[in-house]
Amino acid sequence: MIQVTNLTKTFTDPKRGAVHAVDHITFEVREREIFGLLGPNGAGKTTALRMLATVMKPSEGTAVLGGHDVVQEPEQVRKQIGFLSGDMGLYHRLTPRETLNFFGRLHGLDGENLKSRIREVFALFDIEKFADTQVDKLSTGMRQRVAIARTLVHDPPILILDEPASGLDVPTARVIEEFILKSRNAGKSILLSTHVMEEAEYLCDRMAVIHEGKVKIVGTMADLRAATGKERLREIFLNLLGMEAMERRTNHES
Amino acid sequence: MSLSSISTIYRKEMLDMVRDRRTLISMVLVPIAAMPVLFLFMGRMISSAEKRAGEESVTIAVQGSERLPGLLNALAGARFKLVDKADLKAAVEKKEIAAGVEPVLLAGGVKEVRIYTDQTRDASGVAAGKIRVVLDLFKDNLAKQQLIARGVPVEVLSPFTVKRVDLAPAKKMAGMVWGSMLGYVVVLLMFSGGMYPAIDLTAGEKERRTLEVLLSAPAGRDEIILAKILATTSAVAITALLSILSLVVSLRYVDFGKASKMLKPGGLALDPSVLPLVMLALVPTAIMAASIMVAIALFAKSFKEAQSYLTPLIMAVIFPLIAGMLPGIQLTPALALIPLFNVCQLIKEIFQGDFNRLSFAITMASNIVYAGIAFFAAVQVFKSEKVLFRT
Repeated sequence: MIQVTNLTKTFTDPKRGAVHAVDHITFEVREREIFGLLGPNGAGKTTALRMLATVMKPSEGTAVLGGHDVVQEPEQVRKQIGFLSGDMGLYHRLTPRETLNFFGRLHGLDGENLKSRIREVFALFDIEKFADTQVDKLSTGMRQRVAIARTLVHDPPILILDEPASGLDVPTARVIEEFILKSRNAGKSILLSTHVMEEAEYLCDRMAVIHEGKVKIVGTMADLRAATGKERLREIFLNLLGMEAMERRTNHES
Repeated sequence: MSLSSISTIYRKEMLDMVRDRRTLISMVLVPIAAMPVLFLFMGRMISSAEKRAGEESVTIAVQGSERLPGLLNALAGARFKLVDKADLKAAVEKKEIAAGVEPVLLAGGVKEVRIYTDQTRDASGVAAGKIRVVLDLFKDNLAKQQLIARGVPVEVLSPFTVKRVDLAPAKKMAGMVWGSMLGYVVVLLMFSGGMYPAIDLTAGEKERRTLEVLLSAPAGRDEIILAKILATTSAVAITALLSILSLVVSLRYVDFGKASKMLKPGGLALDPSVLPLVMLALVPTAIMAASIMVAIALFAKSFKEAQSYLTPLIMAVIFPLIAGMLPGIQLTPALALIPLFNVCQLIKEIFQGDFNRLSFAITMASNIVYAGIAFFAAVQVFKSEKVLFRT
């Protein structure tokens, strides 16, 4: 469903010169699969996801989503994806219903089609009760549900989720996890970024560890364990980042 | 380019806008309240300044009145309050009196009446003017008495009289007074009315991270920015319309006390029938103002940052506007090329009812070109990834 090939994003920084935020990354997300992009803050996860969501143009390389190239046919790609940005990206002065109406229309839905689709996703996430309250009066948990509903309003086959559970309390994070698993079971391809190891271990079928813009490894949990000889994902992660040795040294010194 | 996307985004922006308190204040409340508040304030200022100057200006002192018999009577008859001061100059400086009067004898028996004033004080200026009038009258009377005593007809004193007749119709006078101020205030309000929407739809979206979600939806970037500029232009136009309507209504129905005489020259306020033409003249300026503010606000990462970029812009807008208020400035075809200044002058001339068609055409054409350039710049800025995702 998603083929990423040598995808690269280079920024020019006045002090540091050319910076590769994303450096020739290659991976694939299959149908009915949850794929995790793991990395510390600043690893390049958000930039990579933005390129896949056609919000940014790649400097080099490309990606094909649902048979459409992000560089050649960004409009076609946008019809295939549901994108959830880091901070939910909700308009605070709109109600959930207005929000879904807006994005539904942009995706070409209209009239009774749109209404019934909104009813459907509102039922799915139990939003109907507060569907006509402005978003800024809703709790974080409610907002997160609205953001997901917004991502799903056009029933996209591909979901791109940037840190979907970051900063959420346990019950709300749970709602998100269930939604991600359900979506996979409904046949969708899901690409998510996270730096929460437990989340990745629990949700992802396969994952890529990304550090300083480069992919360090791609595989299932079993593949990662085999490659590093470590059991816990946290240890695997530190090992791949080359930080394990550093951590041991610090512990020894202290 | 999909019209349905543009209209969907435009309607969403307008809905978002009318729910924003800051926008409502600058777009609706300020333009409606600004005019009556301004006039009431001006009326108060004028009345109190006049009253103060009136009271102060009647207190004067005279020295050496014996050199000009009858002078004291003439001044007292004109309701001056005469006080006794030995040193006139010091008394004027200490503000104890508004003016001092002293007849002096010059060589050859010529008499000169000196009026000591401090021209930096309104009251002193007013007193000097009044004293002058009294002295002129007194001088004429003295001359008349001497002529009568010698048996000469008094008419020889005034072989002719002078009367100034103002041919400008009251409507033109009203246009003159109103036009220059109206253009100035309305254009300034337009910028301030469009500022919050321009920021909210650009830097605000970046700050709340809704922009990337919008960009990942099927609408094209052209469509998104077009809808945003249209929405901001609507805000600017609404501000202009409301401030002009507020002006017309408040001039017609509100009593501004003493200021009314100044506000309604010849008893007339401005002519509302020319308002459609004024609005038409303002359309390209509205598009230009909206596009410039959107283009600048796009650079900012946050609402606050955008505000600090746009505030100097509003200050800069004041300069061409002030140039338009200078006396004697007329809208020539060359001056019609200067943005903002041209539209203010044009509005003034439209209200005066004698605008030059060539200047009108050049003003409109050049403002359409400026609006086009600003619009194009905003679109280009929006398409720049570096600007949208500036870190």
